[in-house]
Amino acid sequence: MATQGRGEAGAGGRRKGSTEAGSGSQLCCGLFDMSAHQQGTELDLSWISKIQVNKPAVLRRAEQIQARRPVKKEWQAAWLLKAVTCIDLTTLSGDDTASNVQRLCYKAKYPIREDLLKALNMHDKGITTAAVCVYPARVCDAVKALKAAGCDIPVASVATGFPAGQTHLKTRLEEIRLAVEDGATEIDVVINRTLVLTGQWKGSDFIKTSTGKETVNATFPVAIVMLRAIRDFFWKTGNKVGFKPAGGIRSAKDSLVWLSLIKEELGDEWMKPELFRIGASTLLADIERQIYHHVTGRYAAYHDLPMS
Amino acid sequence: MAATRTASRAGEIFTTLEYGPAPESHACALAWLDTQDRHLGHYVNGQWLKPEHRSSVPCQDPITGENLASCLQAQSEDVAAAVEAARASLENWSTQPGAFRAQHLTRLAKAIQKHQRLLWTLESLVTGRAVREVRDRDVPLAQQLLQYHAVQAHTQEEALAGWEPMGVIGLILSPTFPFLDMMWRICPALAVGCTVVVLAPPASPTPLLLAQLAGELGPFPGILNVISGPASLGPVLAAQPGVQKVAFCGAIEEGRALRRTLAGWGPELGLALGAESLLLLTEVADVDSAVEGIVDAAWSDRSRGGLRLLIQEAVWDETMRRLQERMGRLRCGRGLDGAVDMGARGDAARDLAQRYVREAQSQGAQVFQAGSVPSDSPFFPPTLVSDLPPASPCTQAEVPWPLVVASPFRTAKEALAVANGTPRGGSASVWSERLGQALELAYGLQVGTVWINAHGLRDPAVPTGGCKESGSSWHGGQDGLYEYLRPSGTPAWIPYLSKTLDYDSFGLALPSALPAGPETGPAPPYGLFVGGRFQAPGARSSRPIRDSQGSLLGYVAEGGAKDIRGAVEAAHQAAPGWMSQSPAARAALLWALAAALQRREPNLVSRLERHGVELKVAKVEVELSVKRLRAWGARVQAQGCALQVAELRGPVLRLREPLGVLAIVCPDEWPLLAFVSLLAPALAHGNTVVLVPSGASPIPALEVCQEMAALLPAGLVNVVTGDRDHLTRCLALHQDIQALWYFGSAQGSQFVEWASAGNLKPVWVNRGCPRAWDQEAEGAGPELGLRAAWTKALWLPMGD
Repeated sequence: MATQGRGEAGAGGRRKGSTEAGSGSQLCCGLFDMSAHQQGTELDLSWISKIQVNKPAVLRRAEQIQARRPVKKEWQAAWLLKAVTCIDLTTLSGDDTASNVQRLCYKAKYPIREDLLKALNMHDKGITTAAVCVYPARVCDAVKALKAAGCDIPVASVATGFPAGQTHLKTRLEEIRLAVEDGATEIDVVINRTLVLTGQWKGSDFIKTSTGKETVNATFPVAIVMLRAIRDFFWKTGNKVGFKPAGGIRSAKDSLVWLSLIKEELGDEWMKPELFRIGASTLLADIERQIYHHVTGRYAAYHDLPMS
Repeated sequence: MAATRTASRAGEIFTTLEYGPAPESHACALAWLDTQDRHLGHYVNGQWLKPEHRSSVPCQDPITGENLASCLQAQSEDVAAAVEAARASLENWSTQPGAFRAQHLTRLAKAIQKHQRLLWTLESLVTGRAVREVRDRDVPLAQQLLQYHAVQAHTQEEALAGWEPMGVIGLILSPTFPFLDMMWRICPALAVGCTVVVLAPPASPTPLLLAQLAGELGPFPGILNVISGPASLGPVLAAQPGVQKVAFCGAIEEGRALRRTLAGWGPELGLALGAESLLLLTEVADVDSAVEGIVDAAWSDRSRGGLRLLIQEAVWDETMRRLQERMGRLRCGRGLDGAVDMGARGDAARDLAQRYVREAQSQGAQVFQAGSVPSDSPFFPPTLVSDLPPASPCTQAEVPWPLVVASPFRTAKEALAVANGTPRGGSASVWSERLGQALELAYGLQVGTVWINAHGLRDPAVPTGGCKESGSSWHGGQDGLYEYLRPSGTPAWIPYLSKTLDYDSFGLALPSALPAGPETGPAPPYGLFVGGRFQAPGARSSRPIRDSQGSLLGYVAEGGAKDIRGAVEAAHQAAPGWMSQSPAARAALLWALAAALQRREPNLVSRLERHGVELKVAKVEVELSVKRLRAWGARVQAQGCALQVAELRGPVLRLREPLGVLAIVCPDEWPLLAFVSLLAPALAHGNTVVLVPSGASPIPALEVCQEMAALLPAGLVNVVTGDRDHLTRCLALHQDIQALWYFGSAQGSQFVEWASAGNLKPVWVNRGCPRAWDQEAEGAGPELGLRAAWTKALWLPMGD
């Protein structure tokens, strides 16, 4: 089942950041039900060898896209809420415990203060983050906390020797199996970059800019190359691969640029959590602040908004 | 109530994820217009000039049609007042040290910085262009231009020694991009010490605002004067005493008409014409990035004109699919909205585009339009035209904004043939990931600017110009400075117009040459030197050459129109070979010619003596001629350079390209020295040449031809003797001669200027004034080198 994602060619292979494959299709512990999985297609490496990427031109496009689609007022508020629904609310720290994972899960369920949503008439639209993302050992805690909060937000886990991916295939597979047993429904796989750098590609349902643990993470130029690859793959095979930028996305403004980037390069049908995720931890707080300002016309104090 | 409305929309937008309006407030632009009571005049000598009894035109928002202000239209008296102000401040301004002028320009840059919001909202409001482009590109570029030229002014005394400012410059602007076009030209002019009168198109307030900002800086109010009025005032501006140069940017046909009208008026004319650009997409390109390049070139309000798109057949389908997909995401709307790609450009531009599309459709072309475009409006959608038959009239015409006309090509060679097959030579980009191929195409394209894997980059340090009908003037870089300089000591130009000159009959009356008796002394070489050998003239007749006492020296061939045609053909055949020679090979040939002249010295001296030149002077003339050949041979090695510019990794190459076939009509005086002094720089810069030697004493030049027959490739130099007026007429009207230098009568100069409008070839005329060919500055100065080649800028961005 060798699915072919062109996306890694320009970005993962090129950059120092790793390319993660969400929901390893080889293991069928994917994000969505089976029908949403990559059907697989003949591996055709000539696609990759034909790709031309002109770096200075891509850098120019990346710069332009940040200034060409400002979103203001109600549009901004609505777009920010859309961004919230695409967030993989993440905590990946060595000192994560059950208590802060529980707090995170609660925040995932109630990402924006209820009264603010009410003012926007969005309180009954089920605005939650797309998923909660934790280390394998914290999956249990997350599943428990979410169950207690009474919601079905999926738990995603980074597995497979995150963040370097330099462990044995056997332990990597075991790690995934255990995380799934604990209740994780989405797995962010760190692919073996040795294989990438030697041109041995594997497919995926989602491609991710990087682990978020690198010195350089989600950047627009890399994203542009990956998104164009996703579009080409869709044109060639009819399969829609998802996209997840992760790392360094902290401001509400950034999230708007990411959304408009998706809209411009791929179109509206990719602007939904099934095909677009933002891996972030502090972004949500800034979005909530912006929405507070939009609704009240005032800038919020630190204590005005609940922490995650 | 408001809250509920907001709320209900948020839910809707959450589902549709559409873009909303992002309007830029233009309150400050309106407030500025209010300071003038919505009634704009001219800005002359640091003051608003609002004369009475003038007609006015409304300045309208091109999108809403709302009346923003009324603008007075200038009349001749207003033009005269503006030129008078510029003249009055010229002496004071041009004699200031360069460092002082540099400070003044820096202060203007700061003034722009402080009022940039006003500038960009005003410009976007009245032109309808996307504010993003004006704000993020034009205004910063305007500041960079001032800063760059401040540095040039600072180093002027050292770097530009031997040159002086021309004087008062008249600048005539096109109605499309008045603000930036103006900055590109006033900055170098002011920097080198000229003063400027700008004739801005009707109802364009931004140039007036700029003049006000400059005027309010204080001590030199008269250096920048702006009057607004129709382009028909251009000749009035050119005819004002003291105006030494007229720079025009606008449509090709307007430029042609202006060239004809200004023949004989005196001022130099610098033309920057047309707005079409070209994009060449090969099969080894990053197609997605090239599609962005197309958007930059045609649909981002960056360029004034449309785009001709050449796509290699193998990637035609792929490119079309991506391009059409991308077009669907373009947004048109009010220019002041920060989230639109394209604004509107007024009814005239829209109608022009509409006419072109209709005609293309009637000729069988496919037209694709897309993008989100308001329907009830003055907008024109992004348009892609393909399958236009190559021979249809549309293919020949300039592509208007906002159209892209795509056609396929098979090989790089064919791409060059198609690209160079238009009379325009503005700018082009080449998209290829193969370095060798990209450079081959870039060097082969006959355009002023080539970008590789980019489109539309600009920088103050890079000369921007063109060739063919795009006009031959430059702005930016060193080349832009020379546009407003002349060699020190050159007398001011005055009108030399002969109102009685009949262009239709000039040079047509041929005197009938009859036998005049036997030649005294040795017979000169007989025939026209064409294609490397002496040939009999088509007319099969001769003209007698006499010395100052009237005794017959010999007969030379009487050349005519057909001989010129043959000579030009021969020169074209020799051109590719000569252009591709290395500078060292060219230098070697010039030095060999110098040695041959030296060997022939006794012969040449005696020929000159028989023409009545004193022995001492004749010897000097031959000696200097040899020196000139050697000097240009040596100089040719130092050509072109690489520039480093901001915001670009990689170099920009400034290439000095041969003009092509250069026709030279030599003066009567200094029959040998002038001939050689003009020939040497022309050859050194890679041109092939058709020369008309001195009319009174052509024999020394023919002697040189005997040497050239043995040394030079056939057709490189062609010498045609005969009636000078007649030959000048043939040369000036020839469409396939790329440049013409004329040293002869005032009437001849006027005719040459008039006739050059045909193919807009650059001309250099002496206006009937003799030149000191034996002096270094006039006989071998850098001016000759500047005129003997044109500049091409080649952008080479790097990155893996």
